[in-house]
Amino acid sequence: MTNVRRSVLAIYALYLAFASSAGQTFESKVEQLLHDEPENIKCFTETLRDLTCFWDEKEDRNSSFGQYAFTYQYQNENSSVCAVSVLGAAGKRLFLCRLSRIEFFVPLHLCVYQGGRELYNRSLSIDQVLLLDPPANVTVVRTRLQRQLNVTWLPPALKYMDDSMMYEVRYVVEGSPMRKEIVKDSTKLTLRGLQPNSKYKVWVRVKLDGISYNGYWSAWSDPVFGTTPPSDLDPLILVLVLIISLILILLSLTVLLSHHKFLLKKLWPDIPSPERKFPGLFTVYKGDFQEWLGHNNGSTWPVHMYTEELPAPLEVLSEASLAAPLPSHVSNPRPEATPRAAPYSREESDTMEEGEDQLETRGMDAGLHDRWQEPRHTHWLMEQLRALQEHPEALSQSSLLESQDTYVTLNQNSQHTREDEQGDDILEESLPLQALFASRGTSLSAASHSDLGSLQQSSGSGRLSSQSSFEYPNHTWSPNGPGYAYMAVADSGVSMDYSPMSSSRITDMGKGVTYTNEYKNDILEHRQPLSGQLIHSQY
Amino acid sequence: MGNRQGNGQSDEDPVRDYADSEMEIPRLFALLLIVLEWTRPGLPSPLRPICDLRVLDHFIKQARDAEAAMRVCKEGCRIGVPLVVPLTRVDFGVWEKKNMEEQAREVQTGLWLLNKAISSLRTSISTSVLHSHIDASVRNIASIGQVLRSLSIQDYVPTDGGIDVQETWRVSSASELFQVHINFLRGKVRLLLANAPVCQPDS
Repeated sequence: MTNVRRSVLAIYALYLAFASSAGQTFESKVEQLLHDEPENIKCFTETLRDLTCFWDEKEDRNSSFGQYAFTYQYQNENSSVCAVSVLGAAGKRLFLCRLSRIEFFVPLHLCVYQGGRELYNRSLSIDQVLLLDPPANVTVVRTRLQRQLNVTWLPPALKYMDDSMMYEVRYVVEGSPMRKEIVKDSTKLTLRGLQPNSKYKVWVRVKLDGISYNGYWSAWSDPVFGTTPPSDLDPLILVLVLIISLILILLSLTVLLSHHKFLLKKLWPDIPSPERKFPGLFTVYKGDFQEWLGHNNGSTWPVHMYTEELPAPLEVLSEASLAAPLPSHVSNPRPEATPRAAPYSREESDTMEEGEDQLETRGMDAGLHDRWQEPRHTHWLMEQLRALQEHPEALSQSSLLESQDTYVTLNQNSQHTREDEQGDDILEESLPLQALFASRGTSLSAASHSDLGSLQQSSGSGRLSSQSSFEYPNHTWSPNGPGYAYMAVADSGVSMDYSPMSSSRITDMGKGVTYTNEYKNDILEHRQPLSGQLIHSQY
Repeated sequence: MGNRQGNGQSDEDPVRDYADSEMEIPRLFALLLIVLEWTRPGLPSPLRPICDLRVLDHFIKQARDAEAAMRVCKEGCRIGVPLVVPLTRVDFGVWEKKNMEEQAREVQTGLWLLNKAISSLRTSISTSVLHSHIDASVRNIASIGQVLRSLSIQDYVPTDGGIDVQETWRVSSASELFQVHINFLRGKVRLLLANAPVCQPDS
């Protein structure tokens, strides 16, 4: 039996190959029913106007179709005979009969006789064997939403049965298994949960729903393709990303602003500029220190005023030979000083020869402490003191000046040098000394008190001698050892730390303005302005 | 005025207790209305049309279950007197030619016959399970009558002389009866309900 069936199937496969694709052909329906219906007599109605019943040939191939008789009888009626026809080639034949007069909702009895003997019989109701054509006009369209497709189709054009139809939609995409959905009472379906940007293949078939009418599933419709739209950016995700980035930006801005000074310092460090301490120097006077000094005549000097400490007399000793008499010692000690002077100061000492600053700070070399020949200076001082005592008139103003002649001379000399335009170097070098001298002078004139202590405090690296010895001429001047303040910072290149206290406080003789210079180690570079200040204070 | 002294006024009409006598007529009128409403004769108010065929589908399913149950019943399902049942066959061409009234009358007659036949089964069949099917079928037929009424299809009770014999036949078993029952529901009744003019969208 199965062999026969297989062969018949093969035949009808051939038929299907030639069958038109529009709808389902009669032969294909027969073939399908041949496969689906287990009954011997297979019947179906497709147009509702006739019933097609067929049966396959028995194994006995020799029988001709004339042998068969087909009768049908509706309930409460007489039986009728149906003409048998043949379908198929010899050997694989099907005998069928078409009933033209059909009635629904009544039992129908069918009988097949072969050679007078009943071969098959069957009782059915025609409203239960409907085999329809597949749905037509299947369309697949996109919807507004993502991952969805709308499938629509036309129902079979059968009167009275359009509300009894049941549909099955089959769809597949490459890489996914096939999915099916049943639809009742509707001719459209929305496919959900699809992959974005994919091509879907959709089929539809129809069947009666089985309540009032029943039948077989139709063949699948021709496949229809539909493509889902590409996936869109979920707007929710986009909004969330925007909000988070905004928050992060705000946070970073807040951090930046709160620490912006710190960050700015790190990234863009300030170039130190002395502008703060010298107001207007760079902006108004374009760096011309002398002018600035002139305009800034102490009135706006923003330096620390140490009013407590009066400038104390300082004794400045030079390393030049101090054996020279007082008036003449001016010319002295340079040769001594020179070898000890730093190379730089050596130059200046040369230039200062006229200025005769042999007294002091010529010797202000770096490490002058070490080479300080104390005894010599001491000795010289003693001599100076004696000289002063011997010549008390020296203590008069002029003598004061004279006593400081060494000092004063320096000033004058320095002044001369200044006038001679011998270069500022000399002046620079001498300035501190001048300052010293000036301070010393004033302190002498004041002579009220010498603030040794303060002087001592003010000396950076050195100690101040008790210049008070000048104030008390009778007082034995006892030098306090190497307590000399080396004020000639400028020319010596001494690596001394000149605190504001120790720096030469130049007191204007007549004006009483004190100001200190802030010396730093790198003062040599800044000598020009500083010395300028010193000079200026003097005159 | 609760206490009245008993005196010679008892023979007379008692004085009414309530204050006003003007409300008497409206009260009577209200009472009359209530009574009339209660005993209202005539047609009931028109029902909302039941166009959804799922109601009928439900009855059909129940009838299918009954028919399946009756089919297996062999012994206790014999009936003595053949019952008159309507014809269930439908020829679409013929059916379409009939007008609405004919169709309605045909359906109403058939339902009446079925109702009568199935009800008479109660006495013949003893099994309680089948009794439930019988009762359900009777109820369903009554409900279908309601549905028809909602579709503005007049009730029709055929007289004995009014029934066309051509349209009937006799069954002798319960299974046949229920087969007729379900076929009738599936066929003619459904066609009538589906094509009721009240339910058509264009009408």
